[in-house]
Amino acid sequence: MLTTRRTQGPERHGFTAGEARRAAALGAALLAAAGLAACSSSGTSSSSSAGATTGSSASGSALVVADLAPFSGPDAALGPTYLVSCDGATQAINNAGGVLGHKLTCKGVDTRGDPADAVPATTQMFATTSNLALVIGCTSDEAASVVPIINSRKMVAFCMTGQSEFDSVHFQYFYRLVPPDLEESYAMIAIAQQLGYKKIALAFGNDIGSQTFIQPAISAISKAGLTLAANETLDLNASSFRTEADKIVTAHPDVILTEALGPTDATFLSEVKQLNGGTMIPVIGTSADISPDWYKSVAAAIGASTLATSFHADNLVTETSGPAYTPFYSAIMSEQGKVGSTGDFSTYLTAPGAVHLYDGINLAALAMVEAKSTVPSVYAPYIEKIGDGTPGAVVVYSFAQGLAALNQGKAIRYEGPGGPTSFDSFHDSTGIFQIDAYNASGAVQVTGSITAGQLRALS
Amino acid sequence: MSLFLASFGFGLVTAAVLAIAAVGFTMQFAVTDVLNLAFGAVMIASAFVAYALNQAGVNVWIGLLAAAAAGAAGSVLLNQGIYTPFQRRGSAPITMVIVSLGMTLIIEFGLQAIVGGTNVSYTMSQGPTVRAGGLVLTAVQFVIIGLAIVVMAAVHGLLRYTKLGKAMRATSANRSLARNCGIRTGRIVTVTWAITGALCGIAGTVFAINNGSFGATSADLFLVVILAAVFLGGPGSAYGAMLGAVIIGLATEISAAYITPSYKDVIAFAILLIMMVLRPGGLLGAAVS
Amino acid sequence: MTSAQLYYLLNLLIYAGIDIIACLGLSQQFGVAGVTNFGFIIFQAAGAYTAAILSLPNDSANGGFQSYLAGWNLPFPVPWIGAAIVGGLVALPFTFVVGRRLRGDFAAVGLLVTAVMFNLLVTNYRPFLNGAAGLSLVPAPLQGEYDPSGAGYQWAYAAIALVLAAGAYLLVRRVTESPYGRSLRAMRDNDLVADSLGKNLLAQRTSVLVLGGALAGLSGGILVGYITTWAPGAWGYAETIVLFAAVIIGGAGSHRGAVLGAILVPVGFEEATRYIPSTFGPPGFVDDLQWVAIGLLVVIFLWFRPQGVLPERRRIIGATAVPSNTPNEDVVSLAGPLHASRGAATAGSALPAADPAPRATASPAAADGGAVLRTVDLARDFGGVHAVAGVSIEVHRGTLTGLIGPNGAGKSTLLGMLAGTIPVTSGQVIYQGRDVTGLPAYRRARLGLVRTFQLASEFKRLTVMENLLSAVPSHRGDSLAGALRGRRCWRRDEEAAIARARVLLERFGLSSYADTYGGDLSGGQRRLTEIMRVLMTEPAMLLLDEPMAGVHPRLARQIGAQLLDLCAEGMTILMVEHELAIMDEFCDPVIMMAEGTVLATGTMTDLRARAEVVEAYLVG
Repeated sequence: MLTTRRTQGPERHGFTAGEARRAAALGAALLAAAGLAACSSSGTSSSSSAGATTGSSASGSALVVADLAPFSGPDAALGPTYLVSCDGATQAINNAGGVLGHKLTCKGVDTRGDPADAVPATTQMFATTSNLALVIGCTSDEAASVVPIINSRKMVAFCMTGQSEFDSVHFQYFYRLVPPDLEESYAMIAIAQQLGYKKIALAFGNDIGSQTFIQPAISAISKAGLTLAANETLDLNASSFRTEADKIVTAHPDVILTEALGPTDATFLSEVKQLNGGTMIPVIGTSADISPDWYKSVAAAIGASTLATSFHADNLVTETSGPAYTPFYSAIMSEQGKVGSTGDFSTYLTAPGAVHLYDGINLAALAMVEAKSTVPSVYAPYIEKIGDGTPGAVVVYSFAQGLAALNQGKAIRYEGPGGPTSFDSFHDSTGIFQIDAYNASGAVQVTGSITAGQLRALS
Repeated sequence: MSLFLASFGFGLVTAAVLAIAAVGFTMQFAVTDVLNLAFGAVMIASAFVAYALNQAGVNVWIGLLAAAAAGAAGSVLLNQGIYTPFQRRGSAPITMVIVSLGMTLIIEFGLQAIVGGTNVSYTMSQGPTVRAGGLVLTAVQFVIIGLAIVVMAAVHGLLRYTKLGKAMRATSANRSLARNCGIRTGRIVTVTWAITGALCGIAGTVFAINNGSFGATSADLFLVVILAAVFLGGPGSAYGAMLGAVIIGLATEISAAYITPSYKDVIAFAILLIMMVLRPGGLLGAAVS
Repeated sequence: MTSAQLYYLLNLLIYAGIDIIACLGLSQQFGVAGVTNFGFIIFQAAGAYTAAILSLPNDSANGGFQSYLAGWNLPFPVPWIGAAIVGGLVALPFTFVVGRRLRGDFAAVGLLVTAVMFNLLVTNYRPFLNGAAGLSLVPAPLQGEYDPSGAGYQWAYAAIALVLAAGAYLLVRRVTESPYGRSLRAMRDNDLVADSLGKNLLAQRTSVLVLGGALAGLSGGILVGYITTWAPGAWGYAETIVLFAAVIIGGAGSHRGAVLGAILVPVGFEEATRYIPSTFGPPGFVDDLQWVAIGLLVVIFLWFRPQGVLPERRRIIGATAVPSNTPNEDVVSLAGPLHASRGAATAGSALPAADPAPRATASPAAADGGAVLRTVDLARDFGGVHAVAGVSIEVHRGTLTGLIGPNGAGKSTLLGMLAGTIPVTSGQVIYQGRDVTGLPAYRRARLGLVRTFQLASEFKRLTVMENLLSAVPSHRGDSLAGALRGRRCWRRDEEAAIARARVLLERFGLSSYADTYGGDLSGGQRRLTEIMRVLMTEPAMLLLDEPMAGVHPRLARQIGAQLLDLCAEGMTILMVEHELAIMDEFCDPVIMMAEGTVLATGTMTDLRARAEVVEAYLVG
């Protein structure tokens, strides 16, 4: 086994009883020390409940918005992408004077993309971030383990996970502006219907976020009277998918529905193209595919022009012009050159989470202003109020506008580039879907839309 | 039937990539008695060398040669710098395995720190898709199969007909005896690592070409498939590795066609485990009871 | 300290408890028993999944978006107990890989592949454990009665995790500090030799796999109760590497080292890197560097300090003199013949009948015509080569029989077949009238037929005293059950064994080396230790493979004299040797082999007179 080495001098062969006493003493001492440290704190907490983590901050100090997401591991692209939205949104808020005299700053917290690592990341975040006012990010990789913690610390979180459990489990401080995976499935089928496809093949990756699309898609297909030609699961760890691609190609589908993140979609789609004699079969993807990284890998693999002509994706309706879009556009683009980026910076305008997190930050900031407090347990109820609006509320399209209206004593309703919000009892808000595509140079274009009625017909 | 032929074709491509890699791996084991688990890391690092050249405008097939050179240099460095000192000290085989795992971490994540976590592709054309009977392969895939055949022939020729090959075989059979017969075993070992390192670099590049899209950690799972091929054929036997590669390549793709593709790699691993338990010498090795 | 900081600290304490339990289990397998279990993480995962599916309600609950087995909504602590049990059970199939005579590195690779394979299976087969999505909304223990987010609950959770860690520590200590632990370490140091001394390797490996597996399973249960979710992403082979790094750096084989390693690596190192801002360098840079650092640490530690920060301690048994630090005394003067030394050794200690006398089996001298060992047409082929062909010999009780022949004659092969360390191609081995041809080596050892080895075979990281004690047969503490029952169960047997060992040490003149590591002895001392060790097994028949090789001639003679004494007491010895002078002086009869067959049998004088014998030596 290991190489032989002389060891140091002899030690007494201890008695088991003595060792037991010593072990117990060590454990007790450890706990006692921790207890003493806790008791001697300048007590902002009671010992029987989780106290609020932030009191009213001292005037002038910066408030922190934490981007709790993977910065490493297979989904490493997500954390930095969200950070761009965060920086843009907070910059615009600061330019308008900040929130109650405080500036906002963004901080990245790396969950490493797995639930066990995300827990200490989250507790460390709470421990070391004074003036934490808001959490954004929390993807499917870690939401299940961190949302309960965030919720118990009474911190508001705008999360990016479409996981089904958040459709029907109540977390008071959890807010979601992205659609549940269920609805996205229906949206994809609706797109297929609109484009006139009859035979559908499914090719989804075997990870948490992608597998949840399959069952709803299958039921929607039968409801819509379409045909399921093939259903292949792509193992994200594998390096080649020729057999799966061949099975799909030989089933002669009209369209392939897919989400398989990482290198998988790129490899898989290029193999489909090869096996289909060089012609690409039309593809419908999910909103996760509207991202600079996905575009880069897949365009390199199958060709940008091919991608432009054969790809569509569902996405929540987001503005591409108009009173909400303009401030959003300038907020994001003002970050160009200030933050690290991959390639064309304008892709961050349509990256996952871009509009939703921007909207979430604005909603939270406006809620703080209206509640006249930066304490989440105080300002949280105002999020729904401002998001859904009250009768007679003034519609505002940016933080600056909302601030001005609130200072005049008016009730407001915030409508950002993500469209109007409508929170249900679980704080999920989903909007109308649109159909996105890439043009030959990689810019995202809206090529159609899906009505709520169409979605309902499939669910 | 056409499904069978198509998957047979894919199996040949997989077997081709696997064969180049497995022969390199098994010969390293034969001549130094080390299971070099850092083989996958060197593979993918060499693939990135080819990528760097490719980004600078060089054709990927020329990049392949550069990758071979990089693989050779890296492997020799790995053996001389890390494995040999540990072995000279009398480290047990299991220590060597743990060291090689440590080296894997250093190489792969060092590489990822440099090139980043997003996946990349070579800029190249895959050529026309050829349909021969039921086989469906691109021109590039045919080239890969051809390349593998050339490499196998070259290895066979080397081992059987050259003095160097004989010396390599002697050194792997019994190093001290070989030394007593006047063979400069130290030099043979270095040359073997250089040759197998070149194979490693070539394997890495064709692996990356075949995948379409790759990143610093793409070869992690592939290493296990290489191990399956090596152990199936018999560790230390170059011909065993070739045989193992063909069997594993075909078995995984054909089973994927008829059973579910999700378990494709699981088939390879199950074969590996069964061989290890029942016949650790492999198909071409002695039946060690 | 704010309450948030307190929660963070408690989080770390809980994780420390979990990692300590896991590292202790791994250290038991890897450090103590030498089983390199690269599939270790599966046990923790199995435990976590078990705890999860036992505590979750039926899978139609919560909207039915998950799909898994069980779902029985059992209350605490049942899920944790289930986790430990399943962790132990999952270890059983693994014994297929480690039980065979596989090289350590091959077995390790096999286990690694198994881990990867299970991860793929669970990920892809959704109905089993909800596939890649994993299980979420796992109920925390007693969450109906207490609020899991309350400070009191978190304190209690941390306290329980640490108490269980302390319990795990005591448990593994109890096993390792017992005679069974000694056998495990012997197996680690040289499994072939341990086998030949009567240790059932498969049973030993199984027991550490099951014990370590149970501990890992428990750690998984604790973890899943805390984070309330579990997915394949949380247990890849990266996690195994971290645990191995922890055990190697902390100190393999030392349980304090395992605890230290758990605190340093999975907790300390991984937490420290969280404090580096994630915007340092491109995305993922810090995380990549962390892995590079772990790889570097592993390689550096294996080079400079393979024993780890807190190495395995030397076990000093009873009150003895300070261990000698001069290992190279080749010329050792042995005590005189048996009677005198026995008298000397009894001074001061109550010696039960603890001499290295042969096993008191009713020696079936009548049955089998006085032959203790007999072979019938024994043969061994290696792929066409007849290493041994048609050998039929008889060895009689009380004789010091020699076995000579030129190189390649098949002597070692024959010895191996007699001992059971080499399988037989055809023929029979009859020992004490019983056909033992099919019995494995350790079973023959337990019947009193024991061999030594030509190459150095001392247990390097056991002291000389431990080397001797490891060979004791039928020791009540030399089983998992005995070890778990504790000192009280095996103290008597241990004391008796120690007394016997002291007599032998005295007799062979190595008393002052009792606490020297086997690996630090000189060549001659090693030989003596091997002989003493084999005598501790209370053999009826010894098979010695070149015991004088590399030994100073004077010492060789003394050993020869001791062997004759033993034969006079009723032991039977068959000895392979090259030194014809030794044969002349001590052995009668002598069997001569050449090219796989027996040429002649008789005294050396007889053999020297035979032409074919002389020829074989000159030519062969």
